[in-house]
Parts: sequence; structure tokens; C-alpha cells
Amino acid sequence: MPAFKDEQIIIIAPGSETTVAQLGLPESFTPARLRVRSRMFPAEKPGEWEPYKIRRRNDKPEAPAAEPQDRAPEGAVSKTNGTEDAVYEEDRVSEEGAVWPIQEGKIVDWSCFFALITHVYNALNPPFHTPILLIAQPVWTPKEHEKLTQFFFEKFKTPAFGLMDAALASSWAYGVHTSTVVDVGKDKVDVTAISEFIPHVQGRTSSLAGCGGEALTQSLFAKLAPRSWSREMCEQLKKSPICEILPVGTPMPGTKEAGEEENITNPAAAASTGAPGSGPAAAASIGNIPRGPGADTEVGDNDADEEGVLDVASIVTGGKMEEYLAKKEKEKLEKANAKKKGGTDAAAAANANKPIRLPNSRREKATFFYEDHRLLDNLKNMNLGSERLAEMQVQLDEGPLRHGEGANGEVTSAAEANASVDAGNANSRSGPIRRELEVGTERFMGASNGVLERIADAVHRTISSVDEVNKRSELWDSLIICGNGSKVRGFKEALLSTIQAKYLISPSSATMFTSEIPSNISTPTGTGANTPQPQFGPHGGAPSHVNPLLYAATTAQTQHLMPHNPTSHLPGLSHNAHSSHGQTPTSIKLVKPPEYFPEWKDVGFDESAFLGAQVAAKVIFVVDQGQSKGYMTRPDYNDQGPTGIHDYAL
Amino acid sequence: MNTLNSSSAPAAGEYAGDEVAAIVLDPGYSTIRAGFAGEDVPKSVCPSFYGQIDSDSGSQYLFGENAIHTPSSNLQIKNYWGSDGIVEDWDTAAKVWEYAITSRLTGARAGDPAKNGLNDGPKENGNGDAMEVEMETIENQEKPLEESPLLMTEPGWNPTKAREKAIEIAMEEWGTPAFYLQKTGVLAAFASGKASGIIIDVGASHTSVTPVLDGMVLKKGVQKSPLAGNFVSNQIRLGFKQSQPEIPLTPHYLVKSKTPVDAGTPAQAIYKTFNIPPTDSFRHYQEERVLTEYKESVVEIWPGPGRLSNGTNDEIAKSMPGRPFEMPDGWNQVFGVDRFRAAEGLFDASAAITDDANPRPKDEHTLPRLVQAAVQQVDADQRPLLLQNIVVTGGSTLLYKLGDRLNYEINALYPSTRNKLIAPGPVVERKYAAWIGGSILASLGSFHQLWISKKEYEEHGANIVEKRCR
Repeated sequence: MPAFKDEQIIIIAPGSETTVAQLGLPESFTPARLRVRSRMFPAEKPGEWEPYKIRRRNDKPEAPAAEPQDRAPEGAVSKTNGTEDAVYEEDRVSEEGAVWPIQEGKIVDWSCFFALITHVYNALNPPFHTPILLIAQPVWTPKEHEKLTQFFFEKFKTPAFGLMDAALASSWAYGVHTSTVVDVGKDKVDVTAISEFIPHVQGRTSSLAGCGGEALTQSLFAKLAPRSWSREMCEQLKKSPICEILPVGTPMPGTKEAGEEENITNPAAAASTGAPGSGPAAAASIGNIPRGPGADTEVGDNDADEEGVLDVASIVTGGKMEEYLAKKEKEKLEKANAKKKGGTDAAAAANANKPIRLPNSRREKATFFYEDHRLLDNLKNMNLGSERLAEMQVQLDEGPLRHGEGANGEVTSAAEANASVDAGNANSRSGPIRRELEVGTERFMGASNGVLERIADAVHRTISSVDEVNKRSELWDSLIICGNGSKVRGFKEALLSTIQAKYLISPSSATMFTSEIPSNISTPTGTGANTPQPQFGPHGGAPSHVNPLLYAATTAQTQHLMPHNPTSHLPGLSHNAHSSHGQTPTSIKLVKPPEYFPEWKDVGFDESAFLGAQVAAKVIFVVDQGQSKGYMTRPDYNDQGPTGIHDYAL
Repeated sequence: MNTLNSSSAPAAGEYAGDEVAAIVLDPGYSTIRAGFAGEDVPKSVCPSFYGQIDSDSGSQYLFGENAIHTPSSNLQIKNYWGSDGIVEDWDTAAKVWEYAITSRLTGARAGDPAKNGLNDGPKENGNGDAMEVEMETIENQEKPLEESPLLMTEPGWNPTKAREKAIEIAMEEWGTPAFYLQKTGVLAAFASGKASGIIIDVGASHTSVTPVLDGMVLKKGVQKSPLAGNFVSNQIRLGFKQSQPEIPLTPHYLVKSKTPVDAGTPAQAIYKTFNIPPTDSFRHYQEERVLTEYKESVVEIWPGPGRLSNGTNDEIAKSMPGRPFEMPDGWNQVFGVDRFRAAEGLFDASAAITDDANPRPKDEHTLPRLVQAAVQQVDADQRPLLLQNIVVTGGSTLLYKLGDRLNYEINALYPSTRNKLIAPGPVVERKYAAWIGGSILASLGSFHQLWISKKEYEEHGANIVEKRCR
């Protein structure tokens, strides 16, 4: 079989929330080019699926026809059905009625899942003869692997197909042969111990439910629901940079140092992000600039009529739209006046206040922009004309663009601010409606429902179930935390500190001065050259700063020169000799992300499984051309059928 | 048989000539092993413990590793095995086994092929003929093992009733097309490539010694005793309780974070608080995890010669360096001679730690006596053959230096024969020996004639298992 070329290879990584895919391997590996929300919409015929919500409008057909096409909302493909007066319209933003075929990593709706994969495949628009590498969730069973194999060979007629375990892929990305991969997904967490590139299947924790990103949202929701926040708001709060998970033992802002901060963290001041230059991207660095005169007029979002304001969507459907808009208009005017009035003051104040900008974790309150999809949905369902719709959208939008250059702001920046939405949204004229929300210390409580502890326990369980006892300390020393659920600010650090607080074995004081050194503290030799280093190099063995053999050789020959020290016989080796029978972990570390993928460095290594799959695809399809049996070819499939995949899966 | 000719295809029924995708299920007291025949390790290893939450609206069961480690107020941890090494709670056993098979091997029950998307024709014309198949497939798709023959293992002392129950579950609840039941002893011997031998299996709840001759268990020779992994755990607990001051055993879930303390001083951890503390059974199960760690890293068996109590052995053990152990709450100590005492009871009943609730174990339950009793039941001329093939298996045989001691004890009992201990090095082969043997057996083409088919079961009833699986 001829070798495959880089540009032919397809990699697909299905996830509960987002499915990412790419056609072709670039020279320098980049994050996935195609990102699709993992959901499909039931089409009119049962069993068929559409990638976008199709709205059926029964109003008079001339409305869309009269509009110039470029003004149509969401760049929709509108078509008029001649016989009935129904108009079908694709809505690329809305998620009403969507079916999510993957839940907790498991494929729950196969027909929908296959439709999703087909959609992804078509979106890639591949030429003929493209080998496919699919990243498999750990929870998928062998029988399901067979099913997938059958699907890929028979539907896409692919010449070669490979399945790669997601955890294994992450370890490929990090380039480590032994590691513990903690993959934090949407609703689940997978913990896999991998030794020498072989996942330890027996003890792996696959699909630990209720511990992923969704659990964080739910936790925020539980905290904020009394303030009539919706789940969607919490979801976006979680994704905003102001939401953070603090490491164990960090005090909440406002608990201790509340006293001296009270003057600058009052709600009114914090709400004043109308200042130029602020936006979701800059939210992390929003200072608490007291706006002086204008401040009290700007807090419409969080005072008495809070409920009403938060749930704009129901106001809209309730028909009180005009009232609401009038009120907003008034507020805006006031705001503008205030701005004018306090313009110079504010600028001065801003400058003066710059040095005391606090990091997010020390501020009691912060704000972010919320994109109200439900409001938009409701507006659309009201059968307004597109013209009117756009107008409403502009009026309701509180995003920075409006403050900046008015209603017809640049589309690109809107899309940037909204990175989580489909690429399809990028060329739409108007993004979702944004509103500014303020939140207190609840934003640090995402993990307060014990998520981190459950994950930590799963890690401990997984590593403890590894049969090769001497591998365990290495596994503890090479944790990889990945998955988009771990993207929340501070999550990785907080998880690591949780694990360390609970499981780290400190050197026992009783053995400190005996020749048995169970701890990993290298003993100072008294030369002054060695400072005690509580950490080892990547292989957990010898202290990284001294080659033990070299040390042995020199001490043996120059015994008289070195001060005699009974405890200094190769601490590294004695550690190894007893590691098969010693308690772990004596140290817990994260693996350093690889340095040589500049494109990935920018976005972070949360989707390291995809990077690993790129590396693996390069190796199995291109470099060794099937020598390692990393994929199944079509002739193999014809010979062996779907069950043959087990001989090939990486 | 003539030699293999590379140019002619293997005959059907030989060397797994036809693919069967049989499933091998090896339930044990601590874990359930399940996987596809022909593979080298079981893909699914599930705890036999399960969670039960009782409420007014009935009991809710939680299966699998993920569900049973989260503290919750009324979660009870149970096990379906009885104290005599025979399944007690069949209803739950069937559910746990099914979970072990479906969660990691077959997936959720297969969907209707008309709807699973595999049979969609190219574009338009796919829909027409699919509808007709729908009705007849629905009934057949209900059962989880419709497509896979099942080989199950059983302890050597399994009574007829339990065996019949097993085939009943497999055939009627799971709808397996073929079934076979085999004793763990035989399979463990197969895993080591032996057809005859003495199999010493030290598991969690029971230790068994099974003489096997030419692939058949000598039933009257099968010995069992409760001195196994759980017994050692219990010894450790007693040891902790009787030491001065008492050693606290705090499971992980009670600890929020710990701080290093000096050896032997009270722990200074931050504990978690529960409105309603989790049940005792939950705590016991979680404590067991700590004890497992203790067994792995501290406990050592006195390797001989002689018992720990013999002569100066005690003194020698005392002079050996201790091993440190840290509890989840940070309490730590170096264990010296105590770590030898925890498991000495397996070999020497008089050395076992006892108290009022835990009387001294019986002498005939110790490992050497079990071997002796098993060998006694075998014809004198077969004994040397068996003693040359002593297979050591079971998770608890991984106790440090157990092999050395066993070797010493057996040589002391039978000084005139050539005794050979076969203790596989890789941990997997020790822990899952019976499963691996099952995997080998079920993938052999020649084994196919032994399966009890569904038809035979329907014709003869559950009792067929007594006739066919000996």
C-alpha cells in the first residue's frame, strides 16, 4: 500500500460538547480547524438529522424575498416553498430542541451520532482516499469500536481507519510514555494511568459522572439561582475569565480583607465597566475604577428590579417589550449624560486608580458580558421582520461595541468575543445580544460541590489499581490534566493542590536518619554543593543535579577527600530498590506541556488529545506506513470484518 | 496428527478456526473479571461490592467503581457473596455481573439495527425496507448477551443449586447462545500451561487448594479456608487496635487535607464534616482501601526458615529495618516486627492476633495444612507429579515473600519429592489467572464441542450443567 500523504489525513475527535476535526496535517501542528457543537436537530422525517435548527415560518413569503440577501439574519439560507406558504430558515445560533448524541462520553443516540460524524466529514469536504483517525473516548466498549469501524468503512469508503484512545493521545501529545491522564470533559472525567504507552485498562476510571465542566456550571447555578440567574448565564460566567477556582486554602475575597477593600469594591463601582477599552477579553484586568458622579446611574442590572432585568427574554415574550426598551433608552441617556459630565473626572480617576488594580482572585465583585441566546430565540420566534429584529438586537445589546462605534460595529470583533459559537456565526451581521452582568464571590465557588475531591479520589484509585507497584511513583509524578472542562481559570492548579493536600506522603521523621531512605529527599553530602531538592527529574530516580554513578565513582576514589557520610550511598538507587515496596506518592507533579508546538501554546493544551492524534497520525499513516499496525486498511476490513479492529487500535 | 502445513488452511474446529467472541466471566469476592476470550487480560475488572441506597420508594443499586466511593448519608456497601464462598444474593449478583459485562465490553444493549444508522442506504432509498425488519428485531434485542457464548468460573466447592442458578441466569436473563461452567482451579492451571497440579489460590475471602489431574478437579481433595486477604486485613485492624497507643485508621474520605507530623504523634488534619455520617459499611469499605495500601507497602511475610515464633527468628525480624506508613490523616509510624505478624496467621494459627470477637483460627485452615490435606486425598503415585506443579495464584499471594515461605513450608512437609512452585511473575497473571485460563480455553477451537447450547438447555433444563460441566 502506498504511503498516505500528510494532507490526506482526517482526524476526528468527538466530544460531548464539541467535536473537532481536521483534514490534513500542517507542517507545524495547529489546533483543530473545524469545531462543531456536538449536536444535531431532528429533521422533519424521523431518523434524519439536520446540522442547524430549521425554523419554519408561516408568514407571507414576500418578507424575506423583499430583503436583500445580505441583510438576512444569520446569513440564513432562506428558501420559499412554492406550494405551501412556508419559509424554512436555517438558524445557526439557536440550540432549541437540539439532540446531543454523546453524553458523559457515551454515545447514547447512534443515529444522531452518525449524522453528526457525516456532517463533520462533509464539512471537511475531503478528496477521495483519505485515511481517518478517530479519537475514541475511554468509555466506548469494544463492541462499539466494531460498530464505528463498520460505519467508517461502509459509509465513507475510507482506505484506512484507526482508533486512538483519547488518554493515550494526550500522552503522545506531551511526549511522555508513562503518565496519568485526567481528562475533564463536559459531564464526566476520565482518569487513565498509562505506562510505557499502554493504557492500564483494568483500573481506569472512565466516565466518572458529575465531575466535568457541567458540574461546575451546576454548582454556580445552585449558588446563583436564588438571584434568578439562568443556567445559561452561569455557563457563560464559567467561561468568562472572571470565574476562577481558587487553590485549597485561599480565602475568598471579602472574607478577611473585606474591611479595607469595601470602599473600592462597592457594587456600583464594580458595575462601571462602561469605560472604554473594557470588554470580555479585557474583563480579567478590569479595575475597580470608581466613576464618581455617574456610578449610581449605571447599576440598572443589580438593584431593585433585578429579576425583571435578568429575565429579559420573558419580558419580550410577555409583550412588555416597548416599556422595557423605553426604560433602557432612558437609562442610556442618563448614562451618556453622566459620562459627559464625569468624562474628564473619570479619565483622571482611571489613571489614578490604575496602580491599585487587583487581581481577579482578590476582588469581591466583577462583571462580564452575557450573550443572551434565549432572548434572541424569543425575538425570532415572534415573527418579526428582519429589519425590526436587527433593530431590537442593537437596542438590547450592551456589549462594548455599542459604546464604542454604535450599532453597526465591526462583525469580526463580535465574533472574537464569542469564540465559543460556530464559525458560521462569524459572517453574520449581528452577533448575539450581550448584556452586562455582575457577580460576587459566587464566581469562585464553581468547585464547591466537591468536584475536585471526587476527581482527586479517582486519581488515587486509578493509580492505586496499577499492578506494577514500582510504576506508581512515576505515575504520580506525571499528571496530565486536559479536557475543555479544565479550562476554567485555576482549575488545574486547584486540582493539583487538592490532590497534594490529601494524598502526598511526607517523609517520615522516624526514618529520616536511618539508612533506609523511603523519602525522595536527596541527602546533603555536606559539601555544600547539594542543596536538598525535594524533587526528582522526569524519571523519579536519581537526583537531577548529580549523576549517581559519577558520584559513586568520585566518592569511592576520593573517600579521604569527602567528609564521610553514612546516609549518602546513592540515594537515588536506594530509592529505586525499595520503590516496589514503598508507599506512594512522595511527590505529585504535572507534566510540562511540550515546547515545540507554537500554535498550540497560544491556545493551551486542553485539547491535547487532538495534538496527540496529529502526532500519532503522522507516525502511523505517514512515517511507518502501517508497520506498527496502527490502523486498519480496507483489505484488512474486507478480510476480517469489524471485529478485526481490535488488532489494530493503538 | 500430521504436521502443520503452511499452505493449507486450518480445519474448522481447530485453533479458533471460527470466531466466536465468547465472553469469559470470572466473579470473585473482591472483583469481577470479564473479557473476551482470546485476549490476554480481562478488559473489565469491576468491584463485587455494590452500593445500595434504601429509600421509601424502594432500593436503588449502584454498581461499578465510580459509584461507590462518594460518601453519601445512606449509602450502604454490600457484597453478594456469602461467608461460605458461595453466591448468596443471586438477584444482585446477576445485576453486578451484567454491569461488568455491559459497561466495558458490549456497551448498552444494542439498538435496533433499523435505526442505528448502519443500515442506512445511500441517500434517498434507505428508508423503505428498513421498516419491515423493525418489528421482528425488537424482541430479540432485549437481552445483553445475545451474541456471545459465556464461559463462567466457579469455586471448587460450588453446590449444584448454585451451578444451576448460574446457567439459568445466563440462558434466560442474558439470552446467551451457549454456556459453560468451569472451576477456577482448573483454569488457573491452564493459565500456567499445566493440566495437572496443585493450585493454591489465596483470594480475598477464601484460600483454596485444588488438586487437578489431567484437567479434572479431584473433588474430594478440594480444600478451602477463610484465611485469606480479608483475614490479613482483619489481623492488621486488630494489630492497630491492640497497639499502645491505639493506631487510628482514618479513611481518605474523612480527610480534607493533612499536614506532616512527626512519627507517632497524633494527626493534625483538617477533617470533613458530614451532616449525616456515611454508613458503617461505607466506612469499612473505605478503610479497606487504606489497608490494601498497607498490605502492599508494609506487610511482609516471614520468609523462613521456621516460623516467626521459632527460636531467634523474632529477634532477627525485630532487627530488620522497619517500613514507614502514613495514614490518610497524616499519622505515620515505622512498622518493625509488627509488619511480619499481620500475615503470620496464614501459616501459623497460634501466631494470629486474636481478641474476643476474633478467636484463634483453626490449625487445619493454615496454608501448609491445606496443602497437606489436599495431597492426602490423592493417590500416592500421583503425588510427586502434583507436587512438581504447584501453581500459586490469587491477589493475596502478592504479599511480599509469600512465595518464599510457601516454598519453605512445602519442602518441610515433603522433603523427599521434587516440589516446584509455579508463581508467575507478572502481577496480572497472578491476579487474573483463572480468567486467563478461561480465555485460553474458550478460544480453543476444540472447546466448541463442550459448550452447552441454548437448545440443549431448553431440552434438558438447568440440570444439564451437572452432567456436562464436571
